[in-house]
Amino acid sequence: MKRKILSALLCVAMSATMLVGCGGDSKEPTDDTKTEGTDDAAAGDDAAAGDDAAAGDDAAAGDDAAGDDAAAGGNKLTVWCWDPAFNIFSMEEAGKVYQKDHADFNVEVVETPWEDVQTKLTTAATSGDLSTLPDIILMQDNAFQKNVISYPDAFVDLTDSGIDFKQFGEAKTAYSVVEGKNYGVPFDNGAVIAAYRTDVLEQAGFKIDDFTDITWDEYLEKGKTVLEKTGKPLLSCQAGESDVIMMMMQSCGASLFDDQGNPALVGNAALKKVMETYAALKEAGVLVEVNDWDQYISTMTTETVAGTINGCWIMASIKTAEDQSGKWAITNMPSLVGVDNATNYSNNGGSSWAITANCQNVDLAKDFLKSTFAGSVELYENIISCGALATYLPAGESDVYAQGDDFFGGDAVSAKIVEFAGKTPSNNTGVFYYEARDAVATAMQNIVGGASVDDELQLAQETIESQMQ
Amino acid sequence: MSQVKEPKKKKMSLERRHNLTGWAFLTPATLMIAVMSFWPMIQAFILSLQTGKANNLSFGNPLANYVRMFRDNVFMTSLTNTFLYLIIQVPIMLVLALILASMLNNKDLRCKGLFRTAIFLPCATSLVSYAIIFRSLFSVDGFINTVLVNLGILHTGYNFLGHATSAKIIIIVALVWRWTGYNMVFYLSGLQNIEYSVYEAAKIDGASPMQTFFKITVPLLKPTILLTAIMSTNGTLQLFDESVNLTRGGPANATITMSHYIYNMSFKYVPTFGYAAAMSFLIFILVAILAFVQMKVGDKRD
Repeated sequence: MKRKILSALLCVAMSATMLVGCGGDSKEPTDDTKTEGTDDAAAGDDAAAGDDAAAGDDAAAGDDAAGDDAAAGGNKLTVWCWDPAFNIFSMEEAGKVYQKDHADFNVEVVETPWEDVQTKLTTAATSGDLSTLPDIILMQDNAFQKNVISYPDAFVDLTDSGIDFKQFGEAKTAYSVVEGKNYGVPFDNGAVIAAYRTDVLEQAGFKIDDFTDITWDEYLEKGKTVLEKTGKPLLSCQAGESDVIMMMMQSCGASLFDDQGNPALVGNAALKKVMETYAALKEAGVLVEVNDWDQYISTMTTETVAGTINGCWIMASIKTAEDQSGKWAITNMPSLVGVDNATNYSNNGGSSWAITANCQNVDLAKDFLKSTFAGSVELYENIISCGALATYLPAGESDVYAQGDDFFGGDAVSAKIVEFAGKTPSNNTGVFYYEARDAVATAMQNIVGGASVDDELQLAQETIESQMQ
Repeated sequence: MSQVKEPKKKKMSLERRHNLTGWAFLTPATLMIAVMSFWPMIQAFILSLQTGKANNLSFGNPLANYVRMFRDNVFMTSLTNTFLYLIIQVPIMLVLALILASMLNNKDLRCKGLFRTAIFLPCATSLVSYAIIFRSLFSVDGFINTVLVNLGILHTGYNFLGHATSAKIIIIVALVWRWTGYNMVFYLSGLQNIEYSVYEAAKIDGASPMQTFFKITVPLLKPTILLTAIMSTNGTLQLFDESVNLTRGGPANATITMSHYIYNMSFKYVPTFGYAAAMSFLIFILVAILAFVQMKVGDKRD
C-alpha cells in the first residue's frame, strides 16, 4: 500500500510539473477515462493542421493591432517587422529622429516574424478585409513583386510621395518597383561579402588578398589546399536552401526567369555553370551542407569552417563569437568562369518598407519614411551599430562609415560594403521567386546525389511551370 | 421527431416535452458544428472548383484543379511520402501501444502510474518543440551522432536528415515516440472494461499469456483498436508539423507531406487557394475512404 501511495504521489508531482492533465492513480479505472477525455481535446487541436491554427492566431493578433491603431488617432503609426536587434531597433530610432520635429508623433512596433507577416498579409488581402494590417510593414525584397502583383490594392503607390528614389542603389530599388511604380522605401543592404578567417588562411599559406577578385575555379583550388592543410572547409550552407545558388546567379545579373516572367531554367548557361560549380565545391568538400540555420551559424562560431559567403547582415552573427575578434577579414565573392557579365558582387536578402492600404494617415506615413529612411543621414549613423548598412547612398559618405572595425582587423568594412552594393548587378526576381527557388534547391540536391544537370533542370522547369498555373 | 414542427400546442404530452427539451439542448451544438465546420467545408469545396492566383479566381473548367494535382510531381511525391508514413508508422505504433498497454495493465506491476505517465508524456509536448528537438538530436554534430562516434560505430557524424531514406525513418521514429503513449491510453481504458474474471478463467483453463492476449485481449479491444486506427490514419494523412519543422520537407522533397505542400501553395508561393482547397479535399476523401474500409473490416457488429 505504501508503495502505491508513493507511486501515486510521484505521478501527481510529475503531472503537476509537466502540466499534464493525466493522473497517475492506478487504482480507479475512471481515472483513465478522465485522461482520455483530456487527450482528446489536445488531439483535436493537433489534428487541425498547423496552418489553420496559425491563420486563426494571426487574425486575432491582427485585430488587436488594428484596434490599437484606430484608438490612437492620427499621430501614431503601427509597424510590423521582426528583428529586435536590427530592424525593430532601426524603426524605433527612426521614430526618435522624427519625434524631434513632431513631438506628439509615436511609432508602435509589433514584433512579427517574416513568415507571420506573409501569412497575415495573405489572409487579410485574400479576405478583402485589410483592417487587420498595420500602417507600415517591412517586406522581404524577394517577396515584394509577388505580393504587390498578387494584391495591388493592399499597398500605397509611393511614386509621387516626394521621396527621391534616385538616392538609393539602383539594384536595390528595383525590387520594390512594379510596373514602373515605387511601392517600397529600400531599407537594409544585402550586398554579398565573403568573410574569411585570416588565421586559418595563414596556416594554409594564404592571405586575404589571395581571395580578393578571384574566380570560383581559383576558390575551389585554394579551398582544397586549405582543407588539406587545416581540415576546414571554406564554406558552409543550408541544405535545401538555394542562397548560394541565387547569389552566384545574381553576381552575373542572371535570373531564373526571362523578361516575360516565364521560367528559363533549361538552356540557361549561367544556371548550368552555377549548378556545376556548386556540385564541384560540394564534391571536393570545400563546401559543407548543414540542415538548419542554427547549425550554419555554429559552423562559424565553433570554428569548423574557414569562412562564409552571404549577405553583409551575416556579420552580426559572425560577431557574436567575440573570442574570434581580429581573426576575420572581408572581401568580395568569387566570380563565375565562362559566363557573360560575371562580377564579384551580388546581393542576398534585404528588405524594404511598404505602406499598406489600411493606413489611415497616408500623408503622415509618407512624410515619416521620407524624412527618416529616405532623408536622414543621422538615422543611418545611429543604426550602423546594429549592422544596418544603408542603401541610402548619401549615408555612405558619412564619416561613421569610414571608421575601422577591430573585429575585422581594423578594416573599414562599412565603406567597403557600400562600395560592393554600388557594383552589384540588378536581377529579375520574378513573381514566382519562391517556387523557382525551391525547385532549384531540389534539383541541386539531386545533382549532388549524382543526377544529371540537364535532366534535373528540365524537371525543375516543369515543376515551376506546373506551379505557376 | 415530427413533433418539433408543431410546438405551439397548449397541452403538450410528456413525451413531446421531453423531445423538445432534448432538441433544445442539441441545437446550440448542432448550429455551432454546422456554422464552424460544415459551412467552411462547403465553401472550401466551391473554392476548390476555382482556378487562378491570389484574388483573381474564376470558375473555368470545374475539374481543372483535380486533374492538375495528378500531373503535379511534387504533390505526387508528397502523396507517396504520406502513404509510406501511414503504411509503416501506424501499424508499428498501434502494435507497440497494444503491447505496452497490456504490460501496464498487469495487476502486480509496481510503479504502474509512473510508467504510464512516462509513456504518455511525449504526447503532452508541443509538436513544434519536439520536432525541433529531434532535428537537433539527429544533426551532424548532434547527440545521436556523438554517441555513435564515441562508441566507435561511426567514424564521422552521419547526416541523418540529409539522406532521403534516413530522413524518412527519423520522421517515423519521431511519430512513434510522440503518439504511442497517446494510443496506449485508449487501450488501457479499453482494458478496464474487460472483466478480470475472464482472464482468471483462461488461466484456470491453462491458457498461455500469448493465447490470452490473442484470444481474449485483442478481440475484446476491437472497438478501441478500430477507433485508434481511424484516428491515426486521419492524423497521419494530415501530417504537417514534422515535415515543416523536422526536415523542412527535404532532402529534395523526400519527406514533404500533403499538408506541407498545401501550406506552401497557399502561403509561401504565389497563393493558389483553389488548387490548395482541391488538394485538401483529396485528403478529406482519402480519410473518408480509409475510415470506411476500416469500419467494414474491423466492425463486425450487426
